[in-house]
Amino acid sequence: MARGTVHVFVGTRKGTYVLESGPQRRRWKVGKLAHAGSDVFHVSPDPRHPGTVYANVNSGFWGPMVMRSRHWGRTWKEVSTPLLPQKKERKPRFGEEGDLAPLPITNLWHMEPGHPREDKTLFLGVDPHALFRSDDEGESWAPVPGINDHPTRSKWTPGFGGPCLHTILIDREDPRRMFVGLSAAGMFRTDDAGEHWRPVNRNVETPYLPEKFPEVGQCVHHVVPDGDRRDLFYRQDHGGIYVTRDGMENWDRIGKGLPDDFGFAVASPPAHPGRAYFVPLDSQSRMTLPGGFQVLEWSEARRTWRPLMGRRAFPGHFGVHREGLSCDTLDPAGIYAGTTTGQLILSPDAGRSWVQVPYQFPGIHSVAVASPEVP
Amino acid sequence: MVVTRLDSWLSEFGAPRRAEVQSPDVAGLLSDLERRYPRLRHRIRDESGSLRRFVRIFVDGVDISSLGGLKTPLAPTAVVDILHSIAGG
Repeated sequence: MARGTVHVFVGTRKGTYVLESGPQRRRWKVGKLAHAGSDVFHVSPDPRHPGTVYANVNSGFWGPMVMRSRHWGRTWKEVSTPLLPQKKERKPRFGEEGDLAPLPITNLWHMEPGHPREDKTLFLGVDPHALFRSDDEGESWAPVPGINDHPTRSKWTPGFGGPCLHTILIDREDPRRMFVGLSAAGMFRTDDAGEHWRPVNRNVETPYLPEKFPEVGQCVHHVVPDGDRRDLFYRQDHGGIYVTRDGMENWDRIGKGLPDDFGFAVASPPAHPGRAYFVPLDSQSRMTLPGGFQVLEWSEARRTWRPLMGRRAFPGHFGVHREGLSCDTLDPAGIYAGTTTGQLILSPDAGRSWVQVPYQFPGIHSVAVASPEVP
Repeated sequence: MVVTRLDSWLSEFGAPRRAEVQSPDVAGLLSDLERRYPRLRHRIRDESGSLRRFVRIFVDGVDISSLGGLKTPLAPTAVVDILHSIAGG
Protein backbone atom coordinates (compact mmCIF):
# COMPACT_ATOMS: atom_id res chain seq x y z
CA MET A 1 0.00 0.00 0.00
CA ALA A 2 1.36 3.37 -0.99
CA ARG A 3 1.90 6.03 1.63
CA GLY A 4 2.40 9.71 1.29
CA THR A 5 0.84 12.39 -0.81
CA VAL A 6 -0.33 12.41 -4.39
CA HIS A 7 0.36 15.83 -5.95
CA VAL A 8 -1.52 16.91 -9.05
CA PHE A 9 -0.18 19.94 -10.92
CA VAL A 10 -2.68 21.83 -13.03
CA GLY A 11 -1.54 24.42 -15.58
CA THR A 12 -4.34 26.75 -16.62
CA ARG A 13 -5.08 29.82 -18.70
CA LYS A 14 -4.69 31.88 -15.53
CA GLY A 15 -2.01 30.23 -13.47
CA THR A 16 -0.85 27.11 -11.63
CA TYR A 17 -2.67 25.01 -9.04
CA VAL A 18 -1.36 22.17 -6.91
CA LEU A 19 -3.79 19.61 -5.50
CA GLU A 20 -2.99 17.12 -2.77
CA SER A 21 -4.58 13.88 -1.69
CA GLY A 22 -3.73 10.66 0.08
CA PRO A 23 -3.11 7.43 -1.84
CA GLN A 24 -6.84 6.67 -1.81
CA ARG A 25 -7.32 9.77 -3.95
CA ARG A 26 -10.82 10.42 -2.60
CA ARG A 27 -10.48 13.86 -0.98
CA TRP A 28 -8.56 16.65 -2.61
CA LYS A 29 -7.14 19.85 -1.22
CA VAL A 30 -6.67 22.65 -3.76
CA GLY A 31 -3.68 24.87 -3.02
CA LYS A 32 -3.44 28.57 -3.65
CA LEU A 33 -3.09 29.93 -7.16
CA ALA A 34 0.43 30.71 -8.41
CA HIS A 35 1.46 32.69 -11.51
CA ALA A 36 -1.93 34.42 -11.45
CA GLY A 37 -3.02 35.74 -14.81
CA SER A 38 -0.49 33.86 -16.93
CA ASP A 39 -0.99 30.98 -19.30
CA VAL A 40 0.77 27.95 -17.84
CA PHE A 41 1.17 25.42 -20.62
CA HIS A 42 2.88 22.71 -18.59
CA VAL A 43 3.81 21.98 -14.99
CA SER A 44 6.34 19.20 -14.65
CA PRO A 45 7.31 17.46 -11.40
CA ASP A 46 10.83 16.04 -11.47
CA PRO A 47 10.68 12.43 -10.22
CA ARG A 48 14.47 12.39 -9.70
CA HIS A 49 14.18 15.13 -7.08
CA PRO A 50 10.88 14.78 -5.16
CA GLY A 51 9.52 18.23 -4.41
CA THR A 52 11.14 19.91 -7.40
CA VAL A 53 8.64 21.11 -9.97
CA TYR A 54 8.98 23.23 -13.12
CA ALA A 55 6.31 25.48 -14.61
CA ASN A 56 6.29 26.86 -18.14
CA VAL A 57 4.71 30.26 -17.58
CA ASN A 58 3.70 32.33 -20.60
CA SER A 59 2.69 35.82 -19.54
CA GLY A 60 0.67 37.70 -22.11
CA PHE A 61 2.31 40.92 -20.91
CA TRP A 62 5.86 40.03 -19.92
CA GLY A 63 6.66 36.97 -22.02
CA PRO A 64 7.68 33.37 -21.25
CA MET A 65 9.39 32.38 -18.00
CA VAL A 66 10.67 29.10 -16.59
CA MET A 67 9.75 28.83 -12.91
CA ARG A 68 11.05 26.27 -10.44
CA SER A 69 9.77 25.16 -7.06
CA ARG A 70 11.74 23.11 -4.53
CA HIS A 71 8.71 22.63 -2.27
CA TRP A 72 5.94 20.98 -4.32
CA GLY A 73 4.77 24.30 -5.73
CA ARG A 74 4.38 26.15 -2.45
CA THR A 75 6.92 28.77 -3.56
CA TRP A 76 8.38 29.47 -6.99
CA LYS A 77 11.51 31.14 -8.30
CA GLU A 78 12.31 32.16 -11.85
CA VAL A 79 15.25 30.31 -13.41
CA SER A 80 16.82 30.96 -16.78
CA THR A 81 14.63 31.17 -19.86
CA PRO A 82 16.33 29.92 -23.06
CA LEU A 83 17.25 32.14 -25.99
CA LEU A 84 17.20 31.14 -29.62
CA PRO A 85 20.61 31.55 -31.24
CA GLN A 86 21.44 34.61 -33.29
CA LYS A 87 21.28 33.99 -37.02
CA LYS A 88 24.16 35.52 -38.92
CA GLU A 89 22.10 36.08 -42.02
CA ARG A 90 19.45 38.03 -40.16
CA LYS A 91 19.62 41.78 -40.11
CA PRO A 92 19.43 43.40 -36.72
CA ARG A 93 15.90 44.44 -35.86
CA PHE A 94 16.97 46.56 -32.98
CA GLY A 95 20.04 47.11 -30.91
CA GLU A 96 21.91 50.07 -29.66
CA GLU A 97 25.23 48.66 -30.77
CA GLY A 98 23.83 47.09 -33.90
CA ASP A 99 23.78 43.66 -32.31
CA LEU A 100 22.21 40.77 -34.09
CA ALA A 101 19.11 39.81 -32.20
CA PRO A 102 17.63 36.35 -31.72
CA LEU A 103 14.07 35.58 -32.69
CA PRO A 104 11.79 35.83 -29.69
CA ILE A 105 10.36 32.71 -28.12
CA THR A 106 6.59 32.99 -28.16
CA ASN A 107 5.61 30.24 -25.73
CA LEU A 108 7.22 27.59 -23.58
CA TRP A 109 5.46 24.26 -24.16
CA HIS A 110 6.80 21.07 -22.62
CA MET A 111 9.39 20.51 -19.87
CA GLU A 112 10.82 16.99 -19.62
CA PRO A 113 13.15 15.92 -16.81
CA GLY A 114 16.10 13.99 -18.22
CA HIS A 115 17.09 10.38 -17.73
CA PRO A 116 17.63 9.28 -14.10
CA ARG A 117 21.37 8.81 -14.86
CA GLU A 118 21.55 12.50 -15.88
CA ASP A 119 19.96 13.94 -12.82
CA LYS A 120 20.45 17.64 -13.55
CA THR A 121 19.38 17.47 -17.19
CA LEU A 122 16.16 18.97 -18.51
CA PHE A 123 14.68 19.27 -21.98
CA LEU A 124 12.37 22.09 -23.00
CA GLY A 125 10.24 22.39 -26.13
CA VAL A 126 9.15 25.85 -27.30
CA ASP A 127 7.40 27.87 -29.97
CA PRO A 128 8.88 28.53 -32.51
CA HIS A 129 9.81 24.87 -33.17
CA ALA A 130 12.89 24.31 -31.00
CA LEU A 131 14.35 22.00 -28.38
CA PHE A 132 16.65 23.15 -25.60
CA ARG A 133 18.78 21.17 -23.16
CA SER A 134 19.93 22.20 -19.70
CA ASP A 135 22.48 20.26 -17.68
CA ASP A 136 22.20 22.43 -14.59
CA GLU A 137 18.52 22.21 -13.67
CA GLY A 138 17.47 25.16 -15.81
CA GLU A 139 20.15 27.66 -14.81
CA SER A 140 21.35 27.74 -18.43
CA TRP A 141 20.12 26.33 -21.73
CA ALA A 142 21.65 25.21 -25.00
CA PRO A 143 19.72 24.71 -28.23
CA VAL A 144 19.75 21.25 -29.83
CA PRO A 145 20.71 22.07 -33.43
CA GLY A 146 20.29 18.50 -34.66
CA ILE A 147 16.53 18.94 -34.50
CA ASN A 148 16.24 22.75 -34.55
CA ASP A 149 18.10 22.99 -37.88
CA HIS A 150 16.80 19.73 -39.32
CA PRO A 151 16.96 19.50 -43.15
CA THR A 152 13.18 19.06 -43.31
CA ARG A 153 12.47 22.23 -41.34
CA SER A 154 11.31 24.14 -44.41
CA LYS A 155 8.44 21.65 -44.63
CA TRP A 156 7.29 22.20 -41.06
CA THR A 157 4.19 24.33 -40.60
CA PRO A 158 2.42 25.68 -37.52
CA GLY A 159 -0.59 23.97 -36.05
CA PHE A 160 -3.42 26.02 -34.57
CA GLY A 161 -1.44 26.30 -31.33
CA GLY A 162 1.54 27.75 -33.18
CA PRO A 163 4.78 26.19 -34.43
CA CYS A 164 5.64 24.28 -31.31
CA LEU A 165 7.74 21.38 -30.07
CA HIS A 166 5.36 19.91 -27.52
CA THR A 167 6.27 16.26 -26.89
CA ILE A 168 9.60 14.97 -25.51
CA LEU A 169 10.14 11.30 -24.69
CA ILE A 170 13.35 9.83 -23.26
CA ASP A 171 13.96 6.11 -23.48
CA ARG A 172 13.96 4.57 -20.03
CA GLU A 173 17.01 2.37 -20.75
CA ASP A 174 19.18 4.54 -22.97
CA PRO A 175 19.30 8.34 -22.50
CA ARG A 176 20.73 8.70 -26.00
CA ARG A 177 17.48 7.45 -27.51
CA MET A 178 14.84 10.18 -27.58
CA PHE A 179 11.74 11.18 -29.49
CA VAL A 180 10.20 14.62 -29.99
CA GLY A 181 6.88 15.70 -31.46
CA LEU A 182 6.29 18.95 -33.34
CA SER A 183 3.17 20.46 -34.88
CA ALA A 184 2.86 20.24 -37.73
CA ALA A 185 5.96 18.29 -38.54
CA GLY A 186 5.48 14.94 -36.80
CA MET A 187 7.62 12.71 -34.62
CA PHE A 188 11.42 12.55 -34.82
CA ARG A 189 13.84 10.05 -33.28
CA THR A 190 17.47 10.28 -32.24
CA ASP A 191 19.74 7.43 -31.11
CA ASP A 192 22.84 9.52 -30.46
CA ALA A 193 21.71 11.99 -27.78
CA GLY A 194 20.34 14.53 -30.22
CA GLU A 195 23.16 14.78 -32.76
CA HIS A 196 21.06 13.32 -35.55
CA TRP A 197 17.32 13.00 -35.90
CA ARG A 198 15.09 11.27 -38.41
CA PRO A 199 11.35 11.58 -38.97
CA VAL A 200 9.32 8.57 -37.79
CA ASN A 201 5.81 9.00 -39.18
CA ARG A 202 5.38 6.06 -41.54
CA ASN A 203 1.69 5.25 -42.21
CA VAL A 204 0.41 8.35 -40.37
CA GLU A 205 -2.10 10.11 -42.60
CA THR A 206 -2.22 13.85 -43.26
CA PRO A 207 -5.82 14.49 -44.41
CA TYR A 208 -5.08 18.22 -44.66
CA LEU A 209 -2.23 17.85 -47.22
CA PRO A 210 -2.31 16.83 -50.89
CA GLU A 211 0.19 14.05 -50.12
CA LYS A 212 -1.49 11.68 -47.68
CA PHE A 213 1.53 9.88 -46.21
CA PRO A 214 4.52 12.26 -46.36
CA GLU A 215 7.75 11.82 -44.47
CA VAL A 216 7.04 14.95 -42.39
CA GLY A 217 4.11 17.33 -42.01
CA GLN A 218 2.00 15.27 -39.61
CA CYS A 219 0.22 17.24 -36.94
CA VAL A 220 1.03 14.95 -34.04
CA HIS A 221 -0.95 15.97 -30.99
CA HIS A 222 0.64 13.82 -28.30
CA VAL A 223 2.49 10.53 -27.85
CA VAL A 224 3.12 8.52 -24.67
CA PRO A 225 5.16 5.37 -24.02
CA ASP A 226 3.80 2.11 -22.70
CA GLY A 227 4.68 1.32 -19.11
CA ASP A 228 6.42 -1.94 -19.98
CA ARG A 229 7.30 -2.52 -23.62
CA ARG A 230 10.11 -0.22 -24.71
CA ASP A 231 9.06 -0.02 -28.37
CA LEU A 232 5.33 0.40 -27.76
CA PHE A 233 3.93 3.93 -27.99
CA TYR A 234 0.43 5.38 -28.29
CA ARG A 235 -0.19 8.37 -30.54
CA GLN A 236 -3.05 10.84 -30.84
CA ASP A 237 -2.56 12.60 -34.12
CA HIS A 238 -4.67 15.12 -35.99
CA GLY A 239 -5.07 12.30 -38.49
CA GLY A 240 -6.29 9.70 -35.99
CA ILE A 241 -5.20 7.34 -33.21
CA TYR A 242 -2.14 5.18 -33.83
CA VAL A 243 0.10 2.70 -32.08
CA THR A 244 3.66 1.64 -32.87
CA ARG A 245 5.20 -1.61 -31.69
CA ASP A 246 8.66 -1.10 -33.17
CA GLY A 247 9.97 2.14 -31.71
CA MET A 248 8.09 4.35 -34.18
CA GLU A 249 9.44 2.72 -37.34
CA ASN A 250 5.83 1.98 -38.36
CA TRP A 251 2.49 3.20 -37.09
CA ASP A 252 -0.78 1.27 -37.10
CA ARG A 253 -4.04 3.22 -37.07
CA ILE A 254 -6.17 1.69 -34.31
CA GLY A 255 -8.88 4.34 -34.21
CA LYS A 256 -10.38 3.69 -37.59
CA GLY A 257 -13.46 1.89 -36.24
CA LEU A 258 -14.36 4.62 -33.74
CA PRO A 259 -17.07 7.20 -34.51
CA ASP A 260 -14.28 9.81 -34.61
CA ASP A 261 -10.65 9.22 -33.68
CA PHE A 262 -9.76 12.89 -33.44
CA GLY A 263 -8.53 14.29 -30.14
CA PHE A 264 -5.50 15.79 -28.45
CA ALA A 265 -4.79 13.84 -25.29
CA VAL A 266 -3.41 10.39 -24.59
CA ALA A 267 -2.08 8.78 -21.42
CA SER A 268 -0.90 5.32 -20.44
CA PRO A 269 -0.80 4.07 -16.83
CA PRO A 270 2.58 2.67 -15.74
CA ALA A 271 0.78 0.29 -13.37
CA HIS A 272 -1.23 -1.28 -16.19
CA PRO A 273 1.00 -1.91 -19.21
CA GLY A 274 -0.80 -2.45 -22.47
CA ARG A 275 -3.51 0.11 -21.74
CA ALA A 276 -3.87 3.62 -23.13
CA TYR A 277 -6.51 6.27 -22.58
CA PHE A 278 -7.82 8.76 -25.12
CA VAL A 279 -10.45 11.53 -24.95
CA PRO A 280 -12.35 11.43 -28.25
CA LEU A 281 -13.41 14.79 -29.66
CA ASP A 282 -15.42 15.87 -32.64
CA SER A 283 -12.93 16.60 -35.41
CA GLN A 284 -14.75 19.72 -36.62
CA SER A 285 -15.70 21.48 -33.37
CA ARG A 286 -12.76 20.10 -31.33
CA MET A 287 -15.26 19.47 -28.52
CA THR A 288 -16.70 16.41 -26.82
CA LEU A 289 -18.74 14.10 -28.99
CA PRO A 290 -22.56 14.03 -28.59
CA GLY A 291 -23.41 12.77 -25.11
CA GLY A 292 -20.52 14.52 -23.40
CA PHE A 293 -17.13 13.66 -21.97
CA GLN A 294 -15.73 10.17 -22.46
CA VAL A 295 -12.45 8.37 -21.93
CA LEU A 296 -11.75 5.41 -24.19
CA GLU A 297 -9.42 2.63 -23.13
CA TRP A 298 -7.34 0.76 -25.70
CA SER A 299 -6.25 -2.73 -24.73
CA GLU A 300 -3.15 -3.70 -26.64
CA ALA A 301 -3.47 -7.34 -25.54
CA ARG A 302 -7.02 -7.72 -26.84
CA ARG A 303 -6.77 -5.05 -29.55
CA THR A 304 -10.12 -3.68 -28.45
CA TRP A 305 -11.70 -0.43 -27.27
CA ARG A 306 -14.03 0.18 -24.35
CA PRO A 307 -15.58 3.33 -22.88
CA LEU A 308 -14.76 3.99 -19.25
CA MET A 309 -17.94 5.82 -18.27
CA GLY A 310 -21.61 6.09 -19.09
CA ARG A 311 -22.64 8.24 -21.98
CA ARG A 312 -24.08 11.00 -19.78
CA ALA A 313 -21.66 10.94 -16.85
CA PHE A 314 -20.31 14.41 -17.63
CA PRO A 315 -22.55 16.00 -20.26
CA GLY A 316 -21.55 19.14 -22.11
CA HIS A 317 -19.34 20.50 -24.84
CA PHE A 318 -15.70 21.17 -24.09
CA GLY A 319 -12.23 19.99 -25.00
CA VAL A 320 -9.13 18.45 -23.44
CA HIS A 321 -5.74 19.75 -24.51
CA ARG A 322 -2.71 17.60 -25.41
CA GLU A 323 -1.27 17.77 -21.88
CA GLY A 324 -4.70 17.58 -20.28
CA LEU A 325 -4.75 13.83 -19.56
CA SER A 326 -2.41 12.10 -17.15
CA CYS A 327 -2.00 9.02 -14.96
CA ASP A 328 -0.31 8.44 -11.66
CA THR A 329 1.91 5.42 -11.03
CA LEU A 330 -0.25 3.80 -8.34
CA ASP A 331 -2.17 0.52 -8.67
CA PRO A 332 -4.99 0.84 -9.49
CA ALA A 333 -4.02 3.79 -11.63
CA GLY A 334 -5.45 7.24 -11.14
CA ILE A 335 -6.58 8.92 -14.36
CA TYR A 336 -6.83 12.71 -14.43
CA ALA A 337 -8.44 14.84 -17.14
CA GLY A 338 -8.45 18.64 -17.14
CA THR A 339 -10.90 20.30 -19.48
CA THR A 340 -10.78 23.50 -21.48
CA THR A 341 -13.68 24.76 -19.36
CA GLY A 342 -11.90 24.18 -16.07
CA GLN A 343 -13.22 20.88 -14.72
CA LEU A 344 -10.81 18.33 -13.26
CA ILE A 345 -12.38 14.90 -13.75
CA LEU A 346 -10.59 11.92 -12.23
CA SER A 347 -10.79 8.25 -11.58
CA PRO A 348 -8.94 6.79 -8.56
CA ASP A 349 -9.44 3.21 -9.73
CA ALA A 350 -8.32 2.87 -13.35
CA GLY A 351 -11.62 4.05 -14.79
CA ARG A 352 -14.13 2.08 -12.73
CA SER A 353 -15.48 5.24 -11.05
CA TRP A 354 -15.18 8.93 -11.87
CA VAL A 355 -15.62 12.14 -9.91
CA GLN A 356 -15.19 15.82 -10.61
CA VAL A 357 -13.06 17.78 -8.17
CA PRO A 358 -15.47 20.33 -6.64
CA TYR A 359 -13.50 23.36 -7.75
CA GLN A 360 -13.93 25.57 -10.82
CA PHE A 361 -10.51 26.12 -12.40
CA PRO A 362 -9.74 28.42 -15.32
CA GLY A 363 -9.48 26.59 -18.64
CA ILE A 364 -6.96 23.78 -18.13
CA HIS A 365 -3.91 23.34 -20.37
CA SER A 366 -2.10 20.57 -18.54
CA VAL A 367 -2.35 18.02 -15.77
CA ALA A 368 0.66 16.18 -14.33
CA VAL A 369 0.99 13.91 -11.31
CA ALA A 370 3.71 13.14 -8.79
CA SER A 371 2.90 9.86 -7.11
CA PRO A 372 4.10 8.82 -3.67
CA GLU A 373 6.62 6.03 -3.54
CA VAL A 374 5.29 2.52 -3.08
CA PRO A 375 7.27 0.69 -0.34
CA MET B 1 17.43 63.31 -15.30
CA VAL B 2 14.51 61.56 -16.92
CA VAL B 3 11.90 60.47 -14.40
CA THR B 4 10.61 56.98 -15.14
CA ARG B 5 7.44 55.65 -13.53
CA LEU B 6 7.08 51.88 -13.77
CA ASP B 7 4.03 49.66 -13.71
CA SER B 8 3.46 48.14 -10.26
CA TRP B 9 3.35 44.68 -11.87
CA LEU B 10 7.03 45.11 -12.76
CA SER B 11 7.93 45.00 -9.07
CA GLU B 12 7.62 41.22 -9.52
CA PHE B 13 10.89 41.51 -11.45
CA GLY B 14 12.61 43.66 -8.88
CA ALA B 15 11.84 47.02 -10.48
CA PRO B 16 11.13 50.11 -8.38
CA ARG B 17 8.02 52.20 -8.95
CA ARG B 18 10.17 55.21 -9.88
CA ALA B 19 13.66 55.59 -11.26
CA GLU B 20 15.78 58.45 -12.52
CA VAL B 21 17.69 57.71 -15.71
CA GLN B 22 19.99 59.66 -17.96
CA SER B 23 19.48 58.65 -21.57
CA PRO B 24 19.07 60.34 -24.96
CA ASP B 25 16.24 58.04 -26.02
CA VAL B 26 13.76 55.42 -24.85
CA ALA B 27 15.87 52.47 -25.97
CA GLY B 28 18.81 53.69 -23.90
CA LEU B 29 16.53 54.25 -20.94
CA LEU B 30 15.32 50.65 -21.13
CA SER B 31 18.87 49.34 -21.43
CA ASP B 32 19.87 51.30 -18.36
CA LEU B 33 16.91 49.92 -16.40
CA GLU B 34 17.78 46.39 -17.53
CA ARG B 35 21.37 46.86 -16.38
CA ARG B 36 20.24 48.04 -12.98
CA TYR B 37 17.44 45.50 -12.60
CA PRO B 38 18.54 42.41 -14.59
CA ARG B 39 15.25 40.54 -14.20
CA LEU B 40 13.60 43.24 -16.34
CA ARG B 41 15.57 41.91 -19.31
CA HIS B 42 13.19 40.46 -21.92
CA ARG B 43 10.13 41.56 -19.96
CA ILE B 44 9.48 45.02 -21.45
CA ARG B 45 11.26 44.18 -24.72
CA ASP B 46 11.46 40.69 -26.18
CA GLU B 47 14.69 38.97 -27.21
CA SER B 48 14.69 40.75 -30.58
CA GLY B 49 14.58 44.12 -28.86
CA SER B 50 10.99 44.86 -29.86
CA LEU B 51 8.56 46.28 -27.36
CA ARG B 52 6.27 43.50 -26.14
CA ARG B 53 2.80 43.57 -27.65
CA PHE B 54 0.92 44.53 -24.49
CA VAL B 55 3.37 47.01 -23.02
CA ARG B 56 2.96 50.73 -23.63
CA ILE B 57 5.44 53.51 -23.03
CA PHE B 58 4.49 57.17 -22.80
CA VAL B 59 6.85 60.14 -22.97
CA ASP B 60 5.35 63.20 -21.35
CA GLY B 61 1.96 61.57 -21.70
CA VAL B 62 2.26 60.64 -25.39
CA ASP B 63 2.43 57.00 -26.55
CA ILE B 64 5.81 56.40 -28.22
CA SER B 65 4.04 54.45 -30.99
CA SER B 66 2.95 57.85 -32.31
CA LEU B 67 6.40 59.36 -31.74
CA GLY B 68 9.63 57.66 -32.72
CA GLY B 69 9.05 54.29 -31.10
CA LEU B 70 12.01 53.12 -29.08
CA LYS B 71 14.14 55.76 -30.78
CA THR B 72 11.99 58.55 -29.34
CA PRO B 73 14.38 61.19 -27.98
CA LEU B 74 14.18 62.20 -24.35
CA ALA B 75 14.59 65.71 -23.02
CA PRO B 76 16.39 65.89 -19.66
CA THR B 77 13.12 66.90 -18.03
CA ALA B 78 11.00 64.16 -19.67
CA VAL B 79 8.66 61.95 -17.69
CA VAL B 80 8.36 58.37 -18.97
CA ASP B 81 5.58 55.97 -18.00
CA ILE B 82 5.93 52.23 -18.63
CA LEU B 83 2.57 50.48 -18.33
CA HIS B 84 0.81 47.29 -19.33
CA SER B 85 -1.91 47.85 -21.89
CA ILE B 86 -5.60 47.01 -21.82
CA ALA B 87 -5.70 43.34 -22.75
CA GLY B 88 -6.79 39.99 -21.48
CA GLY B 89 -9.96 38.49 -20.11
